[in-house]
Amino acid sequence: METTMTSTRIDRGSTPTTTIYSDGTDLVFERTFDAPREQVWKAFMDPTLVPRWWGPHGTTTVVAEMDVRPGGKWRYVSSAPDRDDVAFFGEYLEIDPPERFRWTFLFDVPGMGTQGGPETHVFADVDGRTRITSTSHMGSSEAIDGALASGMVRGALETWDRLATLLAER
Amino acid sequence: MQPDPLSSTFAALADPTRRAILARLALGEASVKDLSSPFDMTQPAISKHLRVLERAGLIEQGRNAQWRPRRLRAEPLREVADWVSQYRRHWEESFERLDAYLREVNAGQEQGHGDDDDIDANRPG
Repeated sequence: METTMTSTRIDRGSTPTTTIYSDGTDLVFERTFDAPREQVWKAFMDPTLVPRWWGPHGTTTVVAEMDVRPGGKWRYVSSAPDRDDVAFFGEYLEIDPPERFRWTFLFDVPGMGTQGGPETHVFADVDGRTRITSTSHMGSSEAIDGALASGMVRGALETWDRLATLLAER
Repeated sequence: MQPDPLSSTFAALADPTRRAILARLALGEASVKDLSSPFDMTQPAISKHLRVLERAGLIEQGRNAQWRPRRLRAEPLREVADWVSQYRRHWEESFERLDAYLREVNAGQEQGHGDDDDIDANRPG
């Protein structure tokens, strides 16, 4: 099987503040925060601060376990009014304050077993501000890359959604 | 043991020929002959790819017995899209909240709390 050197950055719907792209098997999120690096690092590593920001809007997070050292385990339980609680969990693989850490980011999906994989979070000092580059190593995302890049999934889904709407109207 | 559905979808999608076939089918159903024409491949080779896609539930055969067109099935793709969008939503919105939190901390400091309380308050020891 031939190997091709494809550093194929594919935009995944970047927003004005956050650059989101995939590259090979990685899904990457990048955003610059107007705060010094130590402070940003602490927001990630202090169990009392994690619930202040972790998780999508409308969710609350309880830090059930957070043993910040290589080999240490972490477990956050996320609650939202419209769904059952979801536990995110994993293990710290590498801690290099305040520059980078690696951990596994896992969650159980009913009927599909445990999903997720390792992530690398890099904190770069940019003139007193902090750029975080968070990379989810998704393993299988070549597949997603191709599928989403072709516009196929979105196009197909939207088409079917519209069809479903149309059919519902009749 | 049955592999989980997401894994078989990923495995099926992890091939450029199969993705191209799906992209073609996204436009509408097509026969094996139609599907093989853009590729420098024999029909048996294409049929092999179609079987992988079929096993993953990504395509199905139409009713027309003679023509046997293939068509796309939405559900597994929706699962993949949902999975990616979960990740996307998680980190994108967490970052928004982190940004708001950091602004709050910095605003507090500028208003004359004056020291590094916010940074050092929880330092162990």
